[in-house]
Amino acid sequence: MPTSEEKIEDQQKTGVKRHQRILQEIVEEEASETPQLSLDWMEHNLEWGVRVKPGKKGLTIGSLNVGIYGEVPEYHEDRTRALRGAYPSAERPFIANINLRHKRELWADNAADLYEETIQKRWVPATDIPWDTIEPLPDDVERAMCQLCTELCQQANVEYETVAGWIQQMSYGFHEVKVFLASEVFDAARHFDVFRKRALSNGGGLGLESRAEVDRVILQSNNDWTSTCLFLHVLRGSFTQTLYRYGEMFAHNPAEKAIFARCLQDKARHLTYSLAHIKYSFSEQPRKERVFQRVLDIAETQMVRDLKDPVLPESLGVIMGNGVEGVRTGMRRVGNLLGDFVRTYLANARYVGLDRSERLAEGLAVYRDM
Amino acid sequence: MPNTTVSAGPGVTYDEHYEPKLDWMDSKGQWGMKAEPGKHGLTLEDIQMDSYGEAPESSSIRSGRQRGSAAREWNYRSGAYYVNSKQDVWLRNAGGLYEEALQRQWSSATDIPWETIKPLPDDIERAACQFTTFLSDIEFVAADIPGRWVATISPDYLETRMFLMTQMMDEARHLDVFRKRALSNGGGLMRSSEDTMGGGVVSIDMARDFSEMSARVHVIGESPVLTIFRTGELLAKNEAEKRIYRLAAQDESRHVAFGIMHMRYIGQTEPERREEIQTYLDEGEEYLFSGSAVGSAGTDRSSTASMAVLLGGGKDKIDEGWRLLMAINRRQMREWVQRVKSAGFEERFTNGRAHPEVLKLLRN
Repeated sequence: MPTSEEKIEDQQKTGVKRHQRILQEIVEEEASETPQLSLDWMEHNLEWGVRVKPGKKGLTIGSLNVGIYGEVPEYHEDRTRALRGAYPSAERPFIANINLRHKRELWADNAADLYEETIQKRWVPATDIPWDTIEPLPDDVERAMCQLCTELCQQANVEYETVAGWIQQMSYGFHEVKVFLASEVFDAARHFDVFRKRALSNGGGLGLESRAEVDRVILQSNNDWTSTCLFLHVLRGSFTQTLYRYGEMFAHNPAEKAIFARCLQDKARHLTYSLAHIKYSFSEQPRKERVFQRVLDIAETQMVRDLKDPVLPESLGVIMGNGVEGVRTGMRRVGNLLGDFVRTYLANARYVGLDRSERLAEGLAVYRDM
Repeated sequence: MPNTTVSAGPGVTYDEHYEPKLDWMDSKGQWGMKAEPGKHGLTLEDIQMDSYGEAPESSSIRSGRQRGSAAREWNYRSGAYYVNSKQDVWLRNAGGLYEEALQRQWSSATDIPWETIKPLPDDIERAACQFTTFLSDIEFVAADIPGRWVATISPDYLETRMFLMTQMMDEARHLDVFRKRALSNGGGLMRSSEDTMGGGVVSIDMARDFSEMSARVHVIGESPVLTIFRTGELLAKNEAEKRIYRLAAQDESRHVAFGIMHMRYIGQTEPERREEIQTYLDEGEEYLFSGSAVGSAGTDRSSTASMAVLLGGGKDKIDEGWRLLMAINRRQMREWVQRVKSAGFEERFTNGRAHPEVLKLLRN
């Protein structure tokens, strides 16, 4: 299998040949009369003389934030798709549906770096997972593993459906966030892809669809991006992250280990952005504490309803008990997993400034000390 | 009766005392799937087996259920999937385009030899900055809008959705790389694009049908930009710029391929929509070849003028730049004709419907 550098080199060679043919045709074109071309745009610039140089991580998008180009506005007046720092063009219509124009609604200082990290750490389910290491598993374990994969596909599905819909509403004054979230959508597509592939590659298939209580509330949180982040990342993201961690711990082969490890790395980035954003948003509007706490009340209620459905917990029990016979041991580990999830969730909520210790839903509080 | 346990019961706690029912084990999709990796690894095509590979003509999914998984009859209808007909979104091999996109991801931070950018005469640097401002400005439109559609398409058509998400990533990189170029050589961003005010982008935003959106984004919008990226050798002043255009062309060609193949699918499966599609193509040709698009004969556009300066090698050589720009414009037209023919809508070139400039080119 060629390396990605070799692939790029091959593509360059093919591209160059094609370009040479096209260029030859163009150069041979006959002259035509030149109309009067206005060059007034040559004076239309707000700051000139910018010369950003690549650093040790190359030329990163965050490094471009110099002079006026780095002035991230508290409120981005422009409702068009004009770039931050560009000379405004008169009379652009407000056709795009850009509603999020306050910095506090979407910003996180780390978005630019996380975007570059996504690109540097890119991976390909088709070729970066050692699929040939997957060996047949006992029927009950395979069935449970396929159920977990079905659940994780659906979680990824909700993530990309939600985030992809929000990006268009975000102002171009905050392009770092837009490009980072495009990379999150891309990650989520890859997660969907890899878990579907795992389910269909070892004699099994997909299982039963999710109960989707939390999915529903994430999808319907379409009035405020910060609330979406609380649902999608602080609550659901903490859960997904814990599932990935345990998935890696109880992997049956190098392929599964690689799948969970890669997904875990991606998920950490999503949470890192989101926690930074919520913390910033909360610090800018502390009066919203009651709103944010209420959002998490709702999120926890839905999570408890999801957990009443035994399909995912029991499938985890079978996986971690190494079969139906060991399911009691497995269920004890499920309790540990849920305990880790609850503690991670509480820590994440605390990090953004929301103390849940006295408000945690009873159905989650039982796991706090497991 | 529900096909599995609805609830583990009130106040249930999962620990070693929990009594599992395990009745979900019998609720599953088709079993016995054993996809094997091929020479390109384990691709989406490799897992299109039996029921998992069958995208239905009409999708009944209303929850977030995935194609091939077992349904819970009582689940919420939480998915807002109003695009639930295969004809509306399908094409042959969207999965292949998705896999190709993953294989060909690149990094604007480290795969571009930024150190090869050297100071340029002021007029050329201004033209380079104007043109890259324009490209950075327009490229992410093709992420914003496909993103809007991802959640509206039924999960039964997962290959289409997956491709659109790779496009979002590609366009993020294009916004990013052209901004980097504008801010890396002693210049800065220039005037915001006027071109996004024109018929092209506005009608993309207004499209309320997936096929219309795809025709406007992938075929009408991205086709002329692809030609420009392919001729980027003429615009580029250094190896960094050449590589930017080559890599961006690779991405853009996947997006155009998606649009062409979807258009072909509609033409074949929904002949009653051919006239509607031809109307989009009419508008596209009007937009592309009547003086309002990049590389067109337009005289009032900063992007057109900046290209002429770049191609000629300075504002005092704008005549030479204009000659090359017109050649690129004709190249755009020729490639347009090839793509429309490939999509199966070639009758417009023989029945006199095509734009007069296109017909003139074909006659010559």
